[in-house]
Amino acid sequence: MSGSERYYFRFNLYHRILHGMVIFSFLGLALTGLPLKYAETGWGRWLSHVLGGPFTTGYLHRFFAVITFLYFGLHLGYVARLVLKGQRGIFWGPDSMVPQPRDFVQLAQHVRYFLGLGPRPRFGRWAYWEKFDYWAVFWGVSIIGASGLLLWFPAFFARFLPGWIFNVAIIIHSDEALLAVAFIFTVHFFNTHLRPEKFPLDAVIFTGRVEEEEFQREHPAEYERLRVEGRLEAHRADPPPLWLRNFARVVGFSALAIGIILIGLIIGTALG
Amino acid sequence: MKAKRWRGSCGYLLTLAVILLGGVLPTFAAEPIPTSEDCLACHSDPELSKTGPGRLPISLFVDQASFQGSVHGFLECVQCHVDATEIPHPEALKKVQCQTCHENAISGAHDLQGGKGLTCSACHGSHAMGPPPQVESVICKKCHAPVVEVYNKSVHGMALVKGNGDVALCLNCHGSVHELRKVRDPGSPVYPLNLPRTCGTCHGDPELAKRHGIPVTNAYQLYMDSIHGRALARSGLLVAANCSSCHGFHGIRPKDDPASKVNRMNVPSTCGTCHAGILVVYAESVHGKAVRNGDAAPVCIDCHSAHQIRRVEGAPWQLQAIRECGTCHEESLKTYRDTFHGKVTALGFTRVAKCSDCHTAHAIFPSSDPRAAVSPAKIVATCQQCHPQATASFAEFHPHADYHNKERFPKLYYTYLFMTALLVGTMSLFGLHTVLWFPRSLLERIRRRRARAGEELEP
Repeated sequence: MSGSERYYFRFNLYHRILHGMVIFSFLGLALTGLPLKYAETGWGRWLSHVLGGPFTTGYLHRFFAVITFLYFGLHLGYVARLVLKGQRGIFWGPDSMVPQPRDFVQLAQHVRYFLGLGPRPRFGRWAYWEKFDYWAVFWGVSIIGASGLLLWFPAFFARFLPGWIFNVAIIIHSDEALLAVAFIFTVHFFNTHLRPEKFPLDAVIFTGRVEEEEFQREHPAEYERLRVEGRLEAHRADPPPLWLRNFARVVGFSALAIGIILIGLIIGTALG
Repeated sequence: MKAKRWRGSCGYLLTLAVILLGGVLPTFAAEPIPTSEDCLACHSDPELSKTGPGRLPISLFVDQASFQGSVHGFLECVQCHVDATEIPHPEALKKVQCQTCHENAISGAHDLQGGKGLTCSACHGSHAMGPPPQVESVICKKCHAPVVEVYNKSVHGMALVKGNGDVALCLNCHGSVHELRKVRDPGSPVYPLNLPRTCGTCHGDPELAKRHGIPVTNAYQLYMDSIHGRALARSGLLVAANCSSCHGFHGIRPKDDPASKVNRMNVPSTCGTCHAGILVVYAESVHGKAVRNGDAAPVCIDCHSAHQIRRVEGAPWQLQAIRECGTCHEESLKTYRDTFHGKVTALGFTRVAKCSDCHTAHAIFPSSDPRAAVSPAKIVATCQQCHPQATASFAEFHPHADYHNKERFPKLYYTYLFMTALLVGTMSLFGLHTVLWFPRSLLERIRRRRARAGEELEP
């Protein structure tokens, strides 16, 4: 790597720690939850026994659930802090995660680009699929978390909810978890890491830094905006140190491997 | 064994020598000892008889030809009838003492004291003595007629008639006839603690079972590993069920015989001879009633197996019992596997509700029956066995809900429909997105690499 490359911060440390918690808890929940869902398959039984049986995996599953609730709370706190600091831009505009008309236009443009009918749209800070990932986690944690809590404390919730709600909760928890796992381990992995331009790993979520050329290519509108507003230099970062790049590789490839193996087993079970 | 036989032969020859000498020496006496020819002068008359105790005539005829052809044909009459030393001899002669030559021939149960009991001739005949008779049942029947009648109708007796050479005869089970022991004698092969091993000499032999089409090829091994076999062999319990407790003894019938103790219809009452309390409960249950009505329903052995009956506390049996219930209750097993209970047991763990934890093991009734553990009146208490805080609302959870069934479970059906639509919809849209993006992204990567290579070529 030549020293002439310039880096800019895309994710701050808080973002990276929270996403680290997402990776850790999501993989943990998948590893401890799927053996129960696939209890009648050989690999489900094997995984459950390796992890200490259904009661141990149940305990671990709740541990990872607590981490999930924790990062969810920390994120809401982060949003609240930005609101209190008067950063209304998080609700609308180029920094916001909220879907906006531009996102739908860019989705259409992107499809036309796929078909060779137009140029690649100029994405801002958050491309539409990144916003979808964000809201998918938001929705998923709420739905799976709420149904999971029902199943965690059935006697408590039965005091004011009818018993059939637990039947509903089982279906929702199980199917929404399957959707989350299927989406993250295929679509998110492809969009972020595995598509040929990024293959095999985009380390930005671990290092927080994006190289200038890639920044211009992936988020040209954002790059332009920062340049025009004269804020580009404020985002300048030192190149990621070697230890950080190695850390990103170890964690990133491990997570990718676990996810790909699990989705392979799920697809294998569905087909076979 | 060999040494014993050798010693026996020595004694026999010695005695024989004494007798022969005894036959020669008296020739020097004044009165000559009568020879067999002398005896037969009278005893060859087929009409010769005397009046016995019940005023019945007892024949005194001796068939010379068959006597001389017998194993004892070389002996003189006086050598057995030792007090017939003169002619005419006293009216009442002493009983022949076979023990003079055949030392300790009879011991055990057949050695009946007081002279009233079994004499050698009862089985072996007297003058026309040959090798031991092959068809024991004919001989034994002389005294044990009712038992042999029962035996003749049994699976063993019927096979014997068909000429089955492997079939168990009286002595195969009861042991050597000369040392025969009573059933209650711990030395008897049919003493309760010994019986399984005795039956096992044949019913632990898969080859023999194959030869005769016996469905259970290793009954002995299975039994010895069962709770009954362990109670008998390890704990030495006489009350433990042995082979005959279930199959009977002389009148053993094949299981498809309606008179068999192990016929499906009779299994509950057979097991109930010991497990009386269970039988009362089972007989009232939905299964017990169905069996009595001739409907397909489980009897004891369907869940507990016939020979390898295991402790109900063990995980392997408990897990097997769930699958067994599922052989008839297919739908219920399928919906059970959708719940946490069913998934944990599928993983091989038992610390969750299994069929019998909610429905009980034997007192199974339809949920509409107030006696059922899953009836509205009892369901909360049933849940509370594991979930102490369970309430009526908690018990509304349906442990056998079928989310495919729109009529019975509309809420679950539409939830499942929505979740499936969400899954299929999301994955289809993004799947298509990915499929379209991939070639484009590949082109982009190739284009970029070419551009970089071009850059490097132009300094």
